[in-house]
Amino acid sequence: MSAEHAEILRLDAHALTACAERLRELQERLEAEGVAPQWLRESVNAHVAACVEAAADLKAAAERLNR
Amino acid sequence: MNGKADPVAESLRGAARELVDAAITIQEAAAHATAALTDGALLRTLPRSPRAAHRAYRALLRATTNGRGLGYAFTGGGPATAVAKIGAMAGAESLAVHVLATSLRLRIAAVALDHPELTGDPMLTRLIGAAAADRDLEAVRALRALVKDRGAVRALSQLAPVFGEVLALRALLDENPLNDATAWLIATGRGFATADPITGMSNRAIAVRDTGEGAARRIDLPPEESARLSGRGSLLGFLANIGVIGTTGRILLQSVRGPDGVLRHVLQAPGMRAGRPDTDSPQDLLGAFSSAVLASSPYSRALAKAVADYGLPQGAELALVGHSAGGAAIMNLAQDAEFCARHTVTHAVSIGAPVDFKRPADPRTWVASVTNQHDIIPTLDGQGAGNCFDLHPDWYVVDYSDATHLFPTCHRIDRYLANLADDLPEAHDHIDERLAPYRGPVVRTQAYLLFDDPPDPEGFPFLSVPTHTVDGPAGPVELPIRCQDGGALTAYFAADPGAADALLKGTGFGPAVRVAGRALVAVHTAENRRTSSGGYHELHLGVVVPGPWPRRSLLLWPDLLRDAGRRRSGGFLVGSAVDTEAARAVAPLVWGDEPYLTPLGFRLTRRHAHVSVGDVLTLRGRLGPGLPVNDRDLVGYTRAAGTALRSCVRTHGPARLHPVPLLRLAVAPGSAHPLAGRLRDLGLDGARALLCLSATTRRTLVDAAVAVPSP
Repeated sequence: MSAEHAEILRLDAHALTACAERLRELQERLEAEGVAPQWLRESVNAHVAACVEAAADLKAAAERLNR
Repeated sequence: MNGKADPVAESLRGAARELVDAAITIQEAAAHATAALTDGALLRTLPRSPRAAHRAYRALLRATTNGRGLGYAFTGGGPATAVAKIGAMAGAESLAVHVLATSLRLRIAAVALDHPELTGDPMLTRLIGAAAADRDLEAVRALRALVKDRGAVRALSQLAPVFGEVLALRALLDENPLNDATAWLIATGRGFATADPITGMSNRAIAVRDTGEGAARRIDLPPEESARLSGRGSLLGFLANIGVIGTTGRILLQSVRGPDGVLRHVLQAPGMRAGRPDTDSPQDLLGAFSSAVLASSPYSRALAKAVADYGLPQGAELALVGHSAGGAAIMNLAQDAEFCARHTVTHAVSIGAPVDFKRPADPRTWVASVTNQHDIIPTLDGQGAGNCFDLHPDWYVVDYSDATHLFPTCHRIDRYLANLADDLPEAHDHIDERLAPYRGPVVRTQAYLLFDDPPDPEGFPFLSVPTHTVDGPAGPVELPIRCQDGGALTAYFAADPGAADALLKGTGFGPAVRVAGRALVAVHTAENRRTSSGGYHELHLGVVVPGPWPRRSLLLWPDLLRDAGRRRSGGFLVGSAVDTEAARAVAPLVWGDEPYLTPLGFRLTRRHAHVSVGDVLTLRGRLGPGLPVNDRDLVGYTRAAGTALRSCVRTHGPARLHPVPLLRLAVAPGSAHPLAGRLRDLGLDGARALLCLSATTRRTLVDAAVAVPSP
């Protein structure tokens, strides 16, 4: 049971890492197009950092569940 | 006019959509972490390896509560939901919520590009900014200032293009856990807003209060309305028809012969009926709400009943056109699989209606939705101008903005019609082109009045009486005469006793009832708006008598209050007038006298009366204070061909007794009419009524006068 949870959380950690990457690309694309609102950069940066942190948390939890 | 063509706005909407995807991914991860944390299996490993389990718990707890990661991320139902709600009340938010909020802010930014008035207006900017920044107090103050400066209607109109986004933002970020699910639905475009985004009160809980199997009754349109209906099928013609029948609880079904000679049919459904929120009509406020929220509502079920009554052949082609609540109702009909199995619903055209989450049962049904971005009504499902999802790529959607920016003006059917006719030629031409099979002469029209439930027959049970036909002077007459809708005024006067007794002399009914030494005389006048003998007015002048066989013990006033069946006293008729030939022809049967035929005017309100009888008299003035009573029956006596006759008007309805009326009778100066002379003889010219009884709505039954043994 714990192994199942661990596997799901490991996949979620990957998904959140990918999420962070997509958000970063989104920000860059909007800025390149010149359409990004001024406030967006700060918000997206915060989301990216949170996604990275969350991915690390989930990865750590998956490892703990596997032990 | 503008829509969503701005490429920058489209780019921002695309980004908002991507953020929604990210938020959903994050939310799913949070749900999985919560599930692992609350799984009993992990708990069971504690005794075997307490240290490892303890570390796993700590890691999961960190993952679901780390403010720099997933945030306060308990989710997924069960005990986690309760914990999540407690967290929401404490203001703890998750990463998914923050990402979704950014998506909503991007949606607002996209709408602002199409609507520069949103960012150019400091008051609107202040409100939107406060809502987006989760500054509740500031948001309330900003809204209050906006309403104070512009009025509620203008404030709402100006906010309309981003109304859904602002509400969803506030709901996501506030401390009320009850509105979170609705905020998610609005922000992710995954479904109809299930609750009020402010309070969290369930929409469904309110909508299900609108019950009823739906019913439709055929009605004839007044000639002036029929004359204004379009004679040919077209988009603008159908919308104009909806405007003609108005929000009156009625709908229209028409048959048109298409260019290919095939007979097709069009249902036209207007919006909400004004008035009380919950009436017996499915077009009331509750009906509009349930039509929008539920997949089937009394309104759509009543529409189905109307179509069934109209008598379409199996598989007949049918186009549905609806405005506002009517738009939601026709979409409910279009998504009714049983209905679509009986009829081929080819088109569903919704104007100014919240239909984003309706789905036609027949995939061949072509759907068009036309909405003004300043119209609040179509945004009630949570999706408005800021919508970043392509919810129905196969629909023809026209979401536009005009310069009016004023709700409810922009919601009116005539406004939509004018916009389509003058400002949206491309949309108008496209919809009309798709409606080409229906563009032909109208060959049949039938209006229906809709109900939540089948109504009682009109007048039931009071007017549900056996009828019989008798020969009258002008042909057969059906009795009793049944009046479904009428009004009446009975005024009592103190008259010259000598003149009254003279009128009764030889009739066997004298003497007249006395009040302070004067004779009591009643003037009864009635407006019979709808009866089994047509509409007519009448006036009767009666000297009040104790009855054919006077009793010493009779107490007059209590007797006058008795039902006709137990009343002895009545008015001995000394003059009557009616204003239609049909009423005059039947009068000898029901009253036993020959009334004068003359124009009669009758205006009666709760406060005032104004009755005029040709060039004979006027009875007018304030009624004064009134006591609520039931309308009283009327008993009249006459003598015809040596026989005493008793006639009755049985009444049903509310009335008011006015003990101190300021009502005055005036005989027309110089009138040579016999009735005028009689009133003068009785001393009633200029007389003020002693008391009167008024009934603005009532039903009556009038049967044939009955001979009573001569006194």
